[in-house]
Amino acid sequence: MSVLLPILLSSAAACGLTVILAAALLVVEKLLVNRGTCVVDVNDGERKLEVTGGRSVLTTLTDEGIFIPSACGGRGTCSYCKLEMTAGAGPLSPTEMPLLTAEEIERGLRISCQVKVRNDLAVTIPAELLSVREYRGVVERIRDLTGDIKELRIRLVEPEAIDFTAGQYIQLRAPAYGDNPDPVYRAYSISSPPSARDGIELIVRLVPGGICTTWIFTMLTEGDEVVFNGPYGEFRLSEAGGPMIWIAGGSGMAPFWSMVRHMKQTGHARPCTYFFGAVRERDLFFTDELKALARELPWFSYVPALSGPAESNGWTGETGLITEVVDRHVREAGDLEAYLCGSPGMIAAAAAVLHAKGIGEQRMYYDKFE
Amino acid sequence: MKPSPTEKRILDRMAPGVLCREGFLGTDARPLQEILDTDRSTLERLGCTHEQLAERLGRVCEAAMAACGAPVSVEGGRLMAEYREAMGQIPCPWADAARRPKGEVECTDPQTGRSLVYTPLAVHLIEAHGFYQGRGSRYRLEPADVAAVFRLDEQDE
Amino acid sequence: MTPALAQAGPSTMPGAGLMLVLLSAALTDNILLTRFLGMCPFLSVSRQIKSAFGMGLAVLFVTTGTCVLNYWLYVYLLRPLAAYGVPAESLKLILFIIVIAAFVQLMEMLIERISITLYYSLGIFLPLITVNCAILGASLFMVNNVTSKGFGLWRVLTYGFGSGLGWFVAIMLMAGIRRRLKNARIPPALEGAGITLIITGIMAMAFVIFQGMIKI
Repeated sequence: MSVLLPILLSSAAACGLTVILAAALLVVEKLLVNRGTCVVDVNDGERKLEVTGGRSVLTTLTDEGIFIPSACGGRGTCSYCKLEMTAGAGPLSPTEMPLLTAEEIERGLRISCQVKVRNDLAVTIPAELLSVREYRGVVERIRDLTGDIKELRIRLVEPEAIDFTAGQYIQLRAPAYGDNPDPVYRAYSISSPPSARDGIELIVRLVPGGICTTWIFTMLTEGDEVVFNGPYGEFRLSEAGGPMIWIAGGSGMAPFWSMVRHMKQTGHARPCTYFFGAVRERDLFFTDELKALARELPWFSYVPALSGPAESNGWTGETGLITEVVDRHVREAGDLEAYLCGSPGMIAAAAAVLHAKGIGEQRMYYDKFE
Repeated sequence: MKPSPTEKRILDRMAPGVLCREGFLGTDARPLQEILDTDRSTLERLGCTHEQLAERLGRVCEAAMAACGAPVSVEGGRLMAEYREAMGQIPCPWADAARRPKGEVECTDPQTGRSLVYTPLAVHLIEAHGFYQGRGSRYRLEPADVAAVFRLDEQDE
Repeated sequence: MTPALAQAGPSTMPGAGLMLVLLSAALTDNILLTRFLGMCPFLSVSRQIKSAFGMGLAVLFVTTGTCVLNYWLYVYLLRPLAAYGVPAESLKLILFIIVIAAFVQLMEMLIERISITLYYSLGIFLPLITVNCAILGASLFMVNNVTSKGFGLWRVLTYGFGSGLGWFVAIMLMAGIRRRLKNARIPPALEGAGITLIITGIMAMAFVIFQGMIKI
């Protein structure tokens, strides 16, 4: 007994101390994380939000119904969520520095998904973002356009209508599934014309290993409910009246499919040549519809081009890289405007060809999806 | 041992569903440092460097991307490469502000039938961080395979 | 505490006594340069003045806090338990380390809240403060002082603060010296840890000057 007592007492002392300290740490952690309410001032007093601190500005604003674009879901990589913070943002965090230029830092721009709300803040939010809303819809139709491209038609449930300009995009929410811990948002251009206000269409291409596209291709079915926010983006037809060329590949068709149908509906007759590049004939879609439009509308021409090895199916259209085809067709710059939508590589190559023809940066419009 | 905050951030970004669906570690249970060390010693045994492999892979990738999806022959006609494009860019898990276009390149050696499937980001991961991704990942490149396809292991250094 | 020990203090003014404890702990008995404890983070984090400053403050905070907590633990738990046959000398090692670990956790949370830049720049060295032998060393020397010299709470607090301050001064000195080393020509074999340890030795020799100045 006299040998046991010291052992028991020592163990009790060590365990008791550990338990007490662990409990104390838990209490402190709770206190530190709970930062109480802070006031977020939007646009110099236009709106004052009372929020619970501790989370990023991006998440806080999203919960208050203000949707800031974010392609990376708040991971601090895409820098879409840049906002001007005039007060209360605290020192720059190491995760923000690689994404901001010295000039932007001077202006007070911050990466809003990396700034935590710790005290009262003041942010400036551009007007077009304040009109961005979250929409709930139901998938009305999914159909295959090619082996790896699908078209989604979404009917809106709440709110019942959406207003946007042809060329804008929305951010579709892919829910957490499988091993993915959190929902992600991915941007897709709206491919339906603005007149069809009760729903939207999207053209989606499967990305191998992509989080959102894998969900769309393997799990999403007609009748499912989806959530998206928008509309975002400055890619749209300019006010000019001169001729234009459109260059796209794969799912880059989407904004142009919206634009051409919108132009037809509104009688906006602006000379336009649409170059669509693909590898093989089976990668083309909407060919009949676009050729029909080309026949019907005197100002519109459609030029599909195949860059793959020649197949014996009797393809009579253009062949070669889309950049080569554009090179052949475009004679002189004049007041020609160019609209490009596709992968960064295709856009860079096409831009180089167009610059060489004398079309300057101010007459080129990109939908780059970075 | 507890990872430092920077390491933890990298590991979090490599997890599935964060930057891409499968993540960068595949089914590999080894710690990141062990993966890096094992691949590095394989390369030392073969007598090549990360930069050499990255340079060859990068050249093939650029040629394939320039062909906008059409199959193209590279390395003096010995290999075939095809780029399957995708919209958008994917950032590097190391958070070094590097981003590369999404999409994948398949480089095949018609003679041996060996093929390598990788992404523009994989080239950056090899060049800047010596990271070939975990076993079981779709874009894992075995350094020995890469060296064999580009015939780098036959050179005397 | 026997009357003899009470008069063994160097002065009847408690303030002066505390000052001597502070100076002794920080200078003559410098936990790093005289006792050679806490070398690992000292060598690694002294590369940059900013992180050395942050690390020094962190160690100062932990040393002070844990000395006081461990003093209370010793006086109110271990000494009474010794009456029941519990070996206070060996048990105190375990209990002190538990307290230090918890305190460092607390400090990590505070630093993450106060300055995320410092948190990332200190990186793995923050949790490593737990096994910084200077911290445990200060607590153990404190116990010695309590048993042999009859230190009370205020002297313990001053001693803990002084030890941490001494470590802070040492790492700041080293960081300053290493900044100047950037433009010096160092033999390649000595670069890094080699030259740093040599400099530490020279600094330690310099601190020997303080020996004999103050003895408590």
